[in-house]
Amino acid sequence: MTTELDNAGIEKAYARWAPVYDLVFDAVMATGRREGVAAAERCGPRILDVGAGTGLEFECFSPASEVTAVDLSEAMLRRAQARVRERRLSAVRGVLVMDATRLAFPDAVFDAVLLPYVLTTVPDPDATLDEAMRVVRPGGEIVLVNHVGAETGPLAKIEAWLARRTRDIGWRPEFPWARIGDWIESRPQAHLLERRALSPMGLFTLVRIARRAATNGGG
Amino acid sequence: MTETETRAAGDATTAIDPKLLEILVCPLTKGRLDYDREKQELISRQAKLAYPIRDGIPIMLPEEARPLD
Repeated sequence: MTTELDNAGIEKAYARWAPVYDLVFDAVMATGRREGVAAAERCGPRILDVGAGTGLEFECFSPASEVTAVDLSEAMLRRAQARVRERRLSAVRGVLVMDATRLAFPDAVFDAVLLPYVLTTVPDPDATLDEAMRVVRPGGEIVLVNHVGAETGPLAKIEAWLARRTRDIGWRPEFPWARIGDWIESRPQAHLLERRALSPMGLFTLVRIARRAATNGGG
Repeated sequence: MTETETRAAGDATTAIDPKLLEILVCPLTKGRLDYDREKQELISRQAKLAYPIRDGIPIMLPEEARPLD
């Protein structure tokens, strides 16, 4: 059985979800969005919001920030754009359709790259993290807010079952820590700063990964 | 402040932030892009592609871009 997602499937799923997405997910995920934004803002004003969707976290940004928001789904970004316009969210400088593994930015232009609830939805989490690392400056941070799957116990079984239905909902409920941990270990530039369970119930986890400043002969 | 700036450039809802335009590159070549204001396209001469800007949202996907000859 395959649980991998492809971009076409994701675009379709989100076009279907866009009208009700805010209602369903806003409340549950609000803490993570707030904490993610706060962590990103501590790195500096130039922030890239990857997988911004309808822009649920936009209101958390301080007006001093300069946020660029990208997502694969144009339908979701139309809502994000309307949100910026209606609520005059001056922090958000632009919303753009991009593939998270092929960003249209040069190297090292952001102080922080925020991925709010994104890694579980992308076809290639490693390539997504690599691309985030490319565009963040040395000393900057990648900030992830994510559901990290239960590895054992009843929740693990439910997640495994849900994973089979991934195509319908557009994200992968089964997402072991190793996917992030292995990536960090295999990338000399990456350094884990923080891994913190968030309320409610530790369902979601905040992860901060620093891009190390370049060292002599370093990779 | 930025609001009045973008208004001056035309439609406040669809104008692209000039600072953002400055840093954008082609997602394939990471090379420079030229902004065609009239056609609302971002042109990558290296990749021979024109990325559309639809109602203020640049679509930076090669598969959505118009091939140039």
